Amino acid sequence: MNCEVCQLKELEVEHFEIGEVLRCILHTIVFHRALGLVRPKDIDLELFEITYVQCGDVELEKKIDEKIEQFISWVEKHPNKKSQICLSFYEVKNKQPSWWTNKIERLYWEQWYINLNVAQHTKAHSSKSHHSKLVVDPGESAVEERSVRRAALEASLREVMFQIIKFANEKKDHVPPIPNREGIVSFPYEITIPSSSDSAFGMDMIKKMLQTGHPTMLS
Amino acid sequence: MAPSHGSPHSEAAKMEQIVTEFFAKSLHIILDSRTSCMSSRSFRGEQIMSSPSSSSSSTSSVRPRDKWFNLALRECPAALENLDLWRQSNPAPMVVDVVLVQRPLHWDPISFSPKRDLIRNFSSEGYPFGWHSDQEEFRCEAHSEKIIERWVLRYESKKVKDNHSSGSRRSSNSTLHTLYKKSILLLRSLYVTVRLLPAYKIFRELNSSGRIRTFSLTHRVSSFVEPFNPREEAEMQRFGFTPVETSSGRLCLSVSYRSSVLDISSESSTPISPQVIPDYVGSPLAEPLKRFPSLPVAGLGTHGSPSSLPFSGRHSWSYDHYRASSPPSVFFSPSPTHSETCASISNPSSHRFPPTSLPPHPPETSVAHKNNTSFDEYYPSPTFSPSPSPSLPICIPGSHLSKGLLRSESAPVNIPTAKIANSPALSNKQFLPPSPPIKSTRSGTLRTDNYVDPNQISATVEQLFSLGKDETRKYLGMKISSTSSPQISFSRSSSRSFQDDFDDSEFSCPFDVDDDDMTHPGSRPGSFDQRGHLSEPLEPGGLFPIRKSQDAAVGALVRMLKKAPPLRQESSGSVNVPQVAGPEIWSNSLDEHNQAVQHAASASITSSGLVTLKTTADALEELQGYREEMNNLLLKQGCKSNK
Repeated sequence: MNCEVCQLKELEVEHFEIGEVLRCILHTIVFHRALGLVRPKDIDLELFEITYVQCGDVELEKKIDEKIEQFISWVEKHPNKKSQICLSFYEVKNKQPSWWTNKIERLYWEQWYINLNVAQHTKAHSSKSHHSKLVVDPGESAVEERSVRRAALEASLREVMFQIIKFANEKKDHVPPIPNREGIVSFPYEITIPSSSDSAFGMDMIKKMLQTGHPTMLS
Repeated sequence: MAPSHGSPHSEAAKMEQIVTEFFAKSLHIILDSRTSCMSSRSFRGEQIMSSPSSSSSSTSSVRPRDKWFNLALRECPAALENLDLWRQSNPAPMVVDVVLVQRPLHWDPISFSPKRDLIRNFSSEGYPFGWHSDQEEFRCEAHSEKIIERWVLRYESKKVKDNHSSGSRRSSNSTLHTLYKKSILLLRSLYVTVRLLPAYKIFRELNSSGRIRTFSLTHRVSSFVEPFNPREEAEMQRFGFTPVETSSGRLCLSVSYRSSVLDISSESSTPISPQVIPDYVGSPLAEPLKRFPSLPVAGLGTHGSPSSLPFSGRHSWSYDHYRASSPPSVFFSPSPTHSETCASISNPSSHRFPPTSLPPHPPETSVAHKNNTSFDEYYPSPTFSPSPSPSLPICIPGSHLSKGLLRSESAPVNIPTAKIANSPALSNKQFLPPSPPIKSTRSGTLRTDNYVDPNQISATVEQLFSLGKDETRKYLGMKISSTSSPQISFSRSSSRSFQDDFDDSEFSCPFDVDDDDMTHPGSRPGSFDQRGHLSEPLEPGGLFPIRKSQDAAVGALVRMLKKAPPLRQESSGSVNVPQVAGPEIWSNSLDEHNQAVQHAASASITSSGLVTLKTTADALEELQGYREEMNNLLLKQGCKSNK
């Protein structure tokens, strides 16, 4: 089984937008992969005129919120940095114990990389601004710039949503068969954020390399 | 898994079932987010109360239909209905057209009939959902239709059964499973996509608030593709979902959609000038983190380009003008002057008071009040409007009313209040020397009423309505006054009662109190206790002089009459005077009471107006008579005592 990777378009967000943007993206991805019985929940973003869909899994919601919180605190410690959040889906293989580990083996079959560029909101319209005009009237121009920027982000976020839809549409073969277990989110997943990442990402790579050699799972 | 349960079907039969159910589910998903389903009333309610609401079906029971593709949806009768129609022509493609219906803006500012319009607007305000139902037969006028989305779902069968990609490596059973899994995936995508397309915004806007709209959504399900004309074709964007391969064919789903739908929707909804919005409480300016989900101009520039505004302005002008044709008479009618005399020409004091006693005049007012400035000069207390403005964002969450609108709306209501409150001494001097303290408390409570009443849900619609009117006034300014001035001379009262209907929430209370007070004391005339009490009713008359000016005058005169008892008490000889006057007053106030009842019911607008006319004229006449009578009696008494 191959692991499909989707790199989502980078979004330039301000600090206060991180939560909502990430929630929207993560839930949209998971909704596409929640093949259990789903009662869709429409959620309207507060900052943008976008409605996304949650699959109504309380655990998932909790986990996503938790990860977002962690990510935000990481961003606060590492300002002005491009960052990546990874949502991976895997299958658990514990039937055949491998020689090198007796732990449960994770077979990643899909990874979504969400790319964020967090702008510093305080400097957003002076130093970070593309045009080098002086901020003479911070009140008005800031508001104007902010709304322009917001509109641009909304368009980009919409684009990312369509990117997710297209990817989920085009790549269906690698999705494992629907497990016969109860639950809304049918496949185990994992959300990786930079803070916990450095080693984890490395491990991912090793695992992925190992996994590529494995025979395709048949059910 | 749904397809595998049940009796042992052949693979082909199972597959056919999956395909059929896929069609059904797709239709359900599309119509669920494009039409106003009967069963989603509660869902709409949720939407009104809070935008980030869940639209999921709240029942935990799993219906068989929900099990299909593991996607539980709300009940959508429209989908079932159309599905039955389609099933007869199975396996033809299913074409779902989502149509934007725009009612023509045929309101002609010159040749309108106020009454008819009034009723119509009232009904559409009161039953916005019924009015905007997607049942075409309710609409008899000509309207323009525009296909904004076309979903085409078809099953392309292959002659030769060859296994494709994933199917090739698997058993036939797993092929079925794969097909089922892929259709689930496709339906998930469809579910998300349907909410991302521009038409969803229209759907939400139609469902979100009780605003009057000149558009609605409807749908057509057919089994053949009616080609677009080239121009239409050019305007459409296409999104094709990746087909799902089956052992004998493939499921194809695609959508053509108009990306320019947004302009239409924002254009035809209530026009709000972007200069005013920023001042609105909770606007992006006031609170950058907040956004209005369905703001037509979308928080400064997401899509509400200024260029579209003249357009929208024009449309709704004629519209607003049409329905607002009469209320301006409230502004420009002679009643304010009248009320001034009635409220004892308090101009000097009121001019003095406002700057000190009133909250700072918001600078933005000047923009919205362009045309009201002359009015403001005379009534320099528009700052009293804080009462409606804070309450409105709470009670009308779905609507987007600029502060300017609120301001102008509140002006006719609150200004007189302020005036009276600021000049108690003067009015007291004229009417009731004995009880100034009661008076001041009275005006205090009245102001609280103004705070409380707008929160009532019932008042919301009326508020909205009157706001629209005032907005027109803002736009049209003197032009309106000129069109409505003939109306003042002919049917001033009808226009007045029109206003009453929508201001009931604020006015009925004080007026009812007035009536009660007048009814009972009138029937049992003159004790000292009641005199203090009697002083209260004078307030409403003075408080709402613009609207109730004539009534107020009547009330004042009535009370002047009632103040006769002191005179009478001085002289024991004039017993028959109150006996005559008492019942008369009573019947008179009864008339007024009737009128108030009619205001409250607001059923027959014109008739209430007629009553008002009659009452006012009669009362004035009668009172004049009483006055003379009184004077005569006094003179006689004077003569007597002199003798």
